[in-house]
Amino acid sequence: MKATTPKILLPERYRAVVGASFFFCIMLLLFTLRSPGVFLDIGIYSAIFLSLPLFMILGLSLVFCVVAGEIDLSFPSIVTLTGFTFAWTLENTGNNFLIAAPCSLLVGVLCGLLNAFLVVKLGLSSLITTLGMNFALVGLTQILNQGQIRTFEELNDTIIRTVLVGSTGPVPNQMLWALVLAVILGLVFHRHKFGLHVRICGDNPEAGRAMGVNIEATKTICFVFVGVASSIVAIQGVYLNSTYFSTVGDGFLLPVLAAIFIGGTPVTGGRGTIGGMVIGAATVAFIQTGVVASGLDGFWTSFGFGLAVVLSLFGHRKFSGRLTR
Amino acid sequence: MSREALVSLVNISKTYGRVYALEDINLEFFAGEIVSLVGDNGAGKSTLTKIISGTEKPDDGGEISLQGEKVSKWSSAKARSWGIETVFQNRALSEQQTIYDNVFLGREITNRFGFVNRKQEIEETEALMRKIGYTSKVWTPLSSVDKLSGGERQGVAIARAILFDSRMVVLDEPTSAMALSETAEVLEFIKGLKESGKSVVFISHNPWDAYAVADRFVILERGKIAIDCPKGDLTVDDFIALLHRFAKKDAKK
Repeated sequence: MKATTPKILLPERYRAVVGASFFFCIMLLLFTLRSPGVFLDIGIYSAIFLSLPLFMILGLSLVFCVVAGEIDLSFPSIVTLTGFTFAWTLENTGNNFLIAAPCSLLVGVLCGLLNAFLVVKLGLSSLITTLGMNFALVGLTQILNQGQIRTFEELNDTIIRTVLVGSTGPVPNQMLWALVLAVILGLVFHRHKFGLHVRICGDNPEAGRAMGVNIEATKTICFVFVGVASSIVAIQGVYLNSTYFSTVGDGFLLPVLAAIFIGGTPVTGGRGTIGGMVIGAATVAFIQTGVVASGLDGFWTSFGFGLAVVLSLFGHRKFSGRLTR
Repeated sequence: MSREALVSLVNISKTYGRVYALEDINLEFFAGEIVSLVGDNGAGKSTLTKIISGTEKPDDGGEISLQGEKVSKWSSAKARSWGIETVFQNRALSEQQTIYDNVFLGREITNRFGFVNRKQEIEETEALMRKIGYTSKVWTPLSSVDKLSGGERQGVAIARAILFDSRMVVLDEPTSAMALSETAEVLEFIKGLKESGKSVVFISHNPWDAYAVADRFVILERGKIAIDCPKGDLTVDDFIALLHRFAKKDAKK
């Protein structure tokens, strides 16, 4: 008589999250086995929670774009430009947050609208267009900023700083904000009709149009999301470092993209997961901080990213059988 | 007293570059009537379907009237909100989404903040699937469409078209991917739509199917109406002979 192995029937919508979590736990276990003293101490987690929210916020917005069948590679330069807008406006309004933040957000929205105009209205490739925009916006910021480093030490003891990037116990507040945003966007993505329309954009836009879904407007909102998220990250960055410098957006591009794909959102569009992206961002943040903390040379970080992306694909294939393309 | 048309098309043309897909189409569709729209490949059937369903706009100069009222800025959202449902030839399904997402696409049941009432959508999809005899034990409303066979996908597309209280149902080649028994079910279903007072436009390459259900025939030839007559004017042999004649004419051209 043949013995049968019962299969675990996991609902399809949770498979990507479980795949990403599985991979994250293995990675955490390996780090802990290598350096138990570091990874069983809360300090390392506080350090990771400083950078993780930035990846999370950018990744959350980018998931919408990728699932809608587009990509926005200009977000690092939008961080740079909206950060400059925020810093410049602070300087020129006596550090008035209530003027500077809306100005920065407005520039983020305008960048998103410009990308949407080029991609959605004119039909240009989002990959190439936003890559070009990434260079253009960084260049524009450098022209405007003229290489200046703008410091804001006077912001250090303000209430706004405490609220935005202070800490609640050992947890940095930006981590809490990022989690709140993740819950809201998760609900929008998985439960709101806008989230469904985003998935339709990347799955079968013609079907969406036939059923009365405004594909162009939906994609435009996705690009605007990225602009707004970039501005939020820029504002947090200025408060976190009390400084603005025009390389503030550097270093986000590959880790954030890696976080999305490790999280189980395929490049082909039509499906994705906010929960998976959060775990993907945690994986990336742990690699960045954990590699060095566990005593390895910093040069291992990129190797770790690459390995994580490739291995996570195997994990997703195991759980969902989809992410091979 | 003459009946009022549900949908009237007046001087409808559609060009793609220099090519006329449709030229000066004048048609009226009435409640409780099945119109079989037939013609060879490239005759303009699918273009006409798209215009009726609002996914294509006609060229300037054409008019669409709904119960005598001329409409402007014709769109798929407007067509659906008025009560025109379409089963497209390509089925217009989003394959990676669930069955219930597809059924309610564009008309989601939401609260006032736009959040979808999944429970109600799933229950209604389940009831609908039972109603049309779609009783697979394998697939549930939560299954994604890419797991379904061609006939099952067609079932979802048809279910979507009848869920809402439509006044007109346009079916573009609904039986193309179906087995004989499934085709018979769909033809019965089309007759049921007529009995419930809906206007039905049935597009098919199969002349026997088209003849079996029709009250009226519209034969398109190279974007123009070649024949528009009631079923009583033609026997099935006449009808098939006519289709052959137009097909040969097209081949010679």
